[in-house]
Amino acid sequence: MRLKVDKITVKLGSSEILKDLTIEAKKGDFIALLGPNGSGKSTLLRTIFGIIKPLKGVVFFDGKEEEKGYLPQETADTNLRVIEVVLLGRTPYLGRIKSPKEKDFEIAMDALRSVGMENFADRKFSELSGGEKQKVLLARLFAQEPKILLLDEPTAHLDISAQLEIMRIIKELAGDRIVIVALHDINLAISFANCILMIKDGRIAYAGSPRNVITEESIKEVFGVEVSVKRHGQIYVIPKIKSSINGRRVHVICGGGSGKELLHLLSTEGYSVSAGVLNALDSDWEIVSEIGGMIVDAPPFSEISEDAHQRNLEAIKNSEAVILADLSIGRGNLKNLISAKYASELGKLIVVDKTPFEERNFVGQEAEKIYSEILKNATVVKSEGDALNALRKLLSR
Amino acid sequence: MKIPLLLILNLAVVLLSISVGSSHYGFDEVYQILQGIADETTKAIILDYRLPRLILAMIVGASLSASGCSLQALFRNPLAEPYVLGIASGASMGAILSVILGFGVFGRILLAFFSAIMTAYLVFFIGSTRKFRDQSYAILLAGIAIASFLSGLNSLLLYLHSQSLHLVIFWLMGSFSNPQWEEVYFSLPFLIIGLSFLLATSWNLNALLLGDEHAKAVGINVDRYRAELIFFTSLLTSTAVAVSGVIGFVGIIIPHTVRLLIGEEHRQLLPATILLSTAFMPLVDVFARISSSGEIPVGAITAILGGPFFLYLLMRRGL
Repeated sequence: MRLKVDKITVKLGSSEILKDLTIEAKKGDFIALLGPNGSGKSTLLRTIFGIIKPLKGVVFFDGKEEEKGYLPQETADTNLRVIEVVLLGRTPYLGRIKSPKEKDFEIAMDALRSVGMENFADRKFSELSGGEKQKVLLARLFAQEPKILLLDEPTAHLDISAQLEIMRIIKELAGDRIVIVALHDINLAISFANCILMIKDGRIAYAGSPRNVITEESIKEVFGVEVSVKRHGQIYVIPKIKSSINGRRVHVICGGGSGKELLHLLSTEGYSVSAGVLNALDSDWEIVSEIGGMIVDAPPFSEISEDAHQRNLEAIKNSEAVILADLSIGRGNLKNLISAKYASELGKLIVVDKTPFEERNFVGQEAEKIYSEILKNATVVKSEGDALNALRKLLSR
Repeated sequence: MKIPLLLILNLAVVLLSISVGSSHYGFDEVYQILQGIADETTKAIILDYRLPRLILAMIVGASLSASGCSLQALFRNPLAEPYVLGIASGASMGAILSVILGFGVFGRILLAFFSAIMTAYLVFFIGSTRKFRDQSYAILLAGIAIASFLSGLNSLLLYLHSQSLHLVIFWLMGSFSNPQWEEVYFSLPFLIIGLSFLLATSWNLNALLLGDEHAKAVGINVDRYRAELIFFTSLLTSTAVAVSGVIGFVGIIIPHTVRLLIGEEHRQLLPATILLSTAFMPLVDVFARISSSGEIPVGAITAILGGPFFLYLLMRRGL
């Protein structure tokens, strides 16, 4: 089984929606279409299905027309019963006077069972939740016994758990069918698709496996937004929130959750935050990612390398103030203490000293000595709130 | 299960309708006719007056309610009905013109029919221009606009030709008071053609309920079906208007009542709607002819019933 979309150009009204676009898909392919609104995802699906005829080019599919299954994005509400909705999937197989037979009912019930909705057969469609409705529509799609599934944003308007459930059902029931699904959630696409097509202005901008296609550059180009793409095992994309209202740059030396409160406070106050050195996936690392701060990071659970240390010093040099959080010091992050000392020498260090240092020092005298030197040249405070006050004072100098 | 019940109801209404009227002729006379021993006057009243009147009422009821039911599905709008498409105003215009021009019954029917179907297509043509994003709404709004335009023209025509006012006004109000077998012969074939189409394609209406895209997704040629449906519902509606004048709200009251009772599956909904209306319409007509010494126009009764029902639907849906 094969699908080939060969150099199609689609015009709606006077504007070209798709331009000379080519796609090939074979058995078992799970393709996600990504692109901003109006990029042509829906038009592509509708053209493959056959609702729209391309101006140029052809859609080649080596199966019957009724083996193309298409799930539109928008669904009107109806008081039809669930089973009646699912039976509509049998339409292509009914005769001229469309009247479903016993076999059609069985297939429809099987389809309902496969999405776990068999107990809803007699309920009114309009009374179901968004996720349940979408499952019923998937059952409608599978009752049609398609070889290729064309799904237009099947997770739109759903909450996160319903989104995941719908995608799981699609993945599970798809088997070796061709699946082409338009999605707006990049992370959902990465988790479920084995191929991603990024569409921009009616053209395919990037195509390939999620790992190859999803980069900060490709997303910037196609969606026009700044994101950070994290590649620790699973790839995922986090938007960078630019909240630096007051624009003052503050560097936080933290780790292991010690910076949690500080980072949030700084972010809400509108400071442009950077932090480091942090091990990737450390809880503080995740917070900085969330608030869109710059991170000097090291691989998970490893000692700070000289390279990371140098980058940290660079970040300290570029910030207007540095806060040393109430963090524990071990062999792995001893260099962070040295960085703090550097900041104190520059006269821009604030130290949050809540827990007695000996309780959080796992290195011994060496750390003790550096810490006492740091304290001499720094503003020492006892809480995160005080740190913020001290920060204001420091910056107003 | 519901269908046999409705058939029994129809049978009862048939018996009632040919046995009740302003004259004293009742069940006994009907029985005499069945036995073949009735006199000429009895035959004339029952066979040439009440029977065609009953059949016309059934034809009109079935035409309007089946059209309303289908149009509500097509437009996914509970307030859609034949009259909203402007067909009534078109037909009225044809009828007024025919009276002014001095045409007979047959000419009036033809001109009303012609003018109605032209109006329906004008509405459809304007409403389905590519300019509009939501064509279902565009067609309804075009219908309302053209209907009010034509009503204005109708008033103007009536004003300019006030001598024929009485005839036309009574016709406009909608009634079965002058039944003729000729009208039955003329309208019955159209009814059969129109209803056959709607019943045979009722499955498509189910698919349309989810949206045009979903109907296309299961392989229905929506654009063609919409054009066909508008043609056949126009045919049915203009037939009804041509023989009975303006009888509003039947296309809303009956389909919605049946929907509440048996749900929205059109292979059941449509036949049940038709059978309820073939009982309802003659019943209203019986009420119209026995409730006063003269005749209350049927259109007035349906409007009095329909207005509040319309509001009830509005409130229930919380539009």
